[in-house]
Amino acid sequence: MSEDTRKPGSQYPAQRLSPTCVEIPKSARADLRVPARVWADAELWKKAVSDRTLEQLLNVATLPGACGCVHAMPDAHEGYGFPVGGVAAFRAKDGVISPGGVGYDINCGVRLLAADVGVGEVKQRIESLVHDLSRAIASGTGRSGDLRLNVPELEYVLAQGSRSLLERGLATQADLEHTEAGGSLAAADPDKVSHRARERGRGQLGSIGSGNHFVEVQRVETVYDEDAAEALGLWKGQLTILIHTGSRGLGHQVCTDFVRIMDAVMARHGIKLPDRELACAPFASPEGKDYFGAMCAAANFAFANRQVITHAARQVFRRALGDSGDLRLVYDVAHNMAKLEEHGGQKLLVHRKGATRAFGPSHPETPAAYRGVGQPVFIPGSMGTASYVLVGTDEAFGLSFGSTCHGAGRAMSRTAAKKVKSGQEVRKDLERQGIVVHGSPGELAEEAPHAYKDVDRVVQVVHDAGLARKVVRLRPVGVVKG
Amino acid sequence: MAWHRFLDHTSEIILHVGAADWPGLLAVAGKGLAELLLRGARPAPDPAERVLEVVAHDRESLLVDWLNEIVYLAETAFWVPQEILIEEASDSRLRARARGVRVETAPSLVKAATFHGLQVRPSVEGLEAEVILDV
Repeated sequence: MSEDTRKPGSQYPAQRLSPTCVEIPKSARADLRVPARVWADAELWKKAVSDRTLEQLLNVATLPGACGCVHAMPDAHEGYGFPVGGVAAFRAKDGVISPGGVGYDINCGVRLLAADVGVGEVKQRIESLVHDLSRAIASGTGRSGDLRLNVPELEYVLAQGSRSLLERGLATQADLEHTEAGGSLAAADPDKVSHRARERGRGQLGSIGSGNHFVEVQRVETVYDEDAAEALGLWKGQLTILIHTGSRGLGHQVCTDFVRIMDAVMARHGIKLPDRELACAPFASPEGKDYFGAMCAAANFAFANRQVITHAARQVFRRALGDSGDLRLVYDVAHNMAKLEEHGGQKLLVHRKGATRAFGPSHPETPAAYRGVGQPVFIPGSMGTASYVLVGTDEAFGLSFGSTCHGAGRAMSRTAAKKVKSGQEVRKDLERQGIVVHGSPGELAEEAPHAYKDVDRVVQVVHDAGLARKVVRLRPVGVVKG
Repeated sequence: MAWHRFLDHTSEIILHVGAADWPGLLAVAGKGLAELLLRGARPAPDPAERVLEVVAHDRESLLVDWLNEIVYLAETAFWVPQEILIEEASDSRLRARARGVRVETAPSLVKAATFHGLQVRPSVEGLEAEVILDV
């Protein structure tokens, strides 16, 4: 069956392969090296063709060394360069690496903490807990965290990530074991991180930043898979905390630096692009290697950032609840990253921009604790809507390079969102639902639930497609916005 | 007459600028970005004048680098330009004198200026450009 809705993104021929997947063939444009797949049901497909998502996805399919298909996840929307929710893999031996394919917020990601108490047991204290969290965790772009690192300390964080925090007592061995790549990418090369990037990041460790970043207190509302939930240590009614942030100004500057560097050398490498923001270089080139080293160092900074915030949250909960306030790290997973992985016997550089790695139960990189279940995946909704915990599937490895979505996905611009409801109205709506909110009126209006797609639909698509499997649904009870 | 406005984008912000000439376009782009950077901030006057210099390899990259220079200064020096005098502007080099304001905390929601779809193009008034800002 063919779908050809005459909308901005659908001048291209599209073939529906299944109820959850549409393919745009390689023949759709003369410059494509591989086909494109959009993971979407009929409703989400309409959204995908309503802006420049498809055009941006097809631009990615022109990059040298592209393998298999390029993918747009069900939460995909127009970005710059890659669409947000884009996944593409390039051969390590002769393909490219693209800073724009990772994005400015390198290793933006999500981690879930679980308490030993149920929300019902601490219901009267939620407001003060959220208030204390907002005081303990710096928010807003550029706002400094408690840790201002000197030069050697920052170097150590860039090289070691969360591991660098063990000696300071800000991380535990268990935390590292429950973080993607142990919270420390060995390929990090701090020497490739510019002075400017270091200056931007030096005072920002332990801060969440602005935009859609947040710390959310939640209740496990629904359990879909009892066995998987038990393996992840999650139970109905339990209090959890979801942390969403990345590498802050340090990562932004690393991307800025390398888009500039690669833009200047592409002609020398014989690379022509339909969009300059896709600036790239062969992975094997000096520029490609330098970016990968710098990107991994920025990713380490991001892992450490979420770890420092975790420590702050633990202090707040222990002060308030004593031993029952212990917060266990369930997992930490990135959604803006390029990773060197083996797929089908080939070494590939898998770019995920607004997409989450979702390895299955049998993959060796799935943490030992979750082998047999699958790597945990966290899909935040928006303030006032649900978030989900899923696990990766072995099937996804063959379908989408082991990738799934990263959120609900924006459906509305910030300006349009503000026209629908003011920040004060959004705050009242959330409070009526029993959700305690800390955030500026402007941020609340721009990040309101109506600005996002229906997270339930997005998650159902990845579940039905076999890209990840639903485990539990989380309902917010308190939100600290950037 | 130089002007700037912000256009809708699903997830980012588009800065649309126009001016009679290239120096004017750079100046108004800087002012437009500064307006975004100061949203919700409580700026304090800063009498000092700064000299800003940017070198790039074509017009589009000069515009992107210029805006990213302002983002960098806002985040590291807690300073945002208000009055911008472009002293020299070729396709690959910019020199400006600027006076601005100081802010207590880095004020920006802007991560970077991007190249996506960027083209400095002729207009009825002179020149115009749309820059997508990652926010």
